[in-house]
Amino acid sequence: MKVVIAGGKHEADFIVKTLKEEHHHLIVINNDRQFAEYISINNDISVFPGDPTKAYTLSDSECENADVLLALSDNDTDNYIACMTAKRLFGVKRTVAKVRNPKNVELFKKLGIDSVISSTYLMAQTILNESSVENIIKTLSIEDEKIVMIEIGVEEDFQMVNQRIMDIPFPRNINISCIFRDPHVIIPKGDTRIKSGDKLIIISTPTEKEEIIDFIQKKR
Amino acid sequence: MKRNKFVVIGCGRLGANIATKMSEVGEDVIIIDSTDDAFRKLQESFSGYEIAGDATDLSVLENAYIKHAKTVVITTDSDNTNIYLAHVCYYVYNVPRIFVRLSDTDKGRLLEGTYIKAIYPFTLSLSEFMDQYQDGDI
Repeated sequence: MKVVIAGGKHEADFIVKTLKEEHHHLIVINNDRQFAEYISINNDISVFPGDPTKAYTLSDSECENADVLLALSDNDTDNYIACMTAKRLFGVKRTVAKVRNPKNVELFKKLGIDSVISSTYLMAQTILNESSVENIIKTLSIEDEKIVMIEIGVEEDFQMVNQRIMDIPFPRNINISCIFRDPHVIIPKGDTRIKSGDKLIIISTPTEKEEIIDFIQKKR
Repeated sequence: MKRNKFVVIGCGRLGANIATKMSEVGEDVIIIDSTDDAFRKLQESFSGYEIAGDATDLSVLENAYIKHAKTVVITTDSDNTNIYLAHVCYYVYNVPRIFVRLSDTDKGRLLEGTYIKAIYPFTLSLSEFMDQYQDGDI
């Protein structure tokens, strides 16, 4: 693959190193002369010193028809212009821009950049994903918090999947009062088997709550 | 939605004077600049709104009624910012008339295929020089 790496500091250095090991055709452009030299010496590769937002720099670097251009500078607008110039004037097939402002992720994509990367945006997405996993467990306290009702989704890698309730060594003070197996609601007996995708409604006491959740979520 | 605003981005000498002139002829002018100090360049007769903020932040643009803009004039000191803002005004807000000042004539190629109008001080100065030079030819 012909890859253009425009701007950036240590991320550029790291990507150059990684891609060079895989024998890609790399074109490295960096506006910071000192850093350009550093990348060059560090990776034994030639680096074009210049501004990748200028058409003549891209032309000099012979980046025509490259498979991908990564714009890694600290300035979102400059990264946008580098990507657009590469795409529109030099036929670069795919453009990737790094952005500092997470709000620019959606916007830049709308304006025609193929991929937009923001560390803050990725972090927020990770947190959202984590919290949606947590959401699988819902609890409700009744009778002045002496009783808790726990709703918990069974995933396919849980230890108890396909076991009969009577064979599962549950901790004490637990009662699986109801299983919601879309679209059916099952009042379980000892010989009911737990299936992946079941939603268990469990009655317990607050002190045993954590132990029960840990037990149910035990993986195979 | 009525488009009746005249938005100027960048309150340099050019931006400030366009804003003042359009305000004088009765346009509803809003001018944006990232520094408060820049608005000192506006003349007494300017009667529009001043907004201090970074126009590359969409919330600043929207506060400046970009959605109601019939015309936007972009004159910040960075060509890259100017083209980016012109693209945002064109593709995101569909502003019907867009003018952008560019120092580098090469950059104008990024506006091909749009109705965005570029103003190049370089080209204007060059042709002015050629005119004056030929006029003085004895």
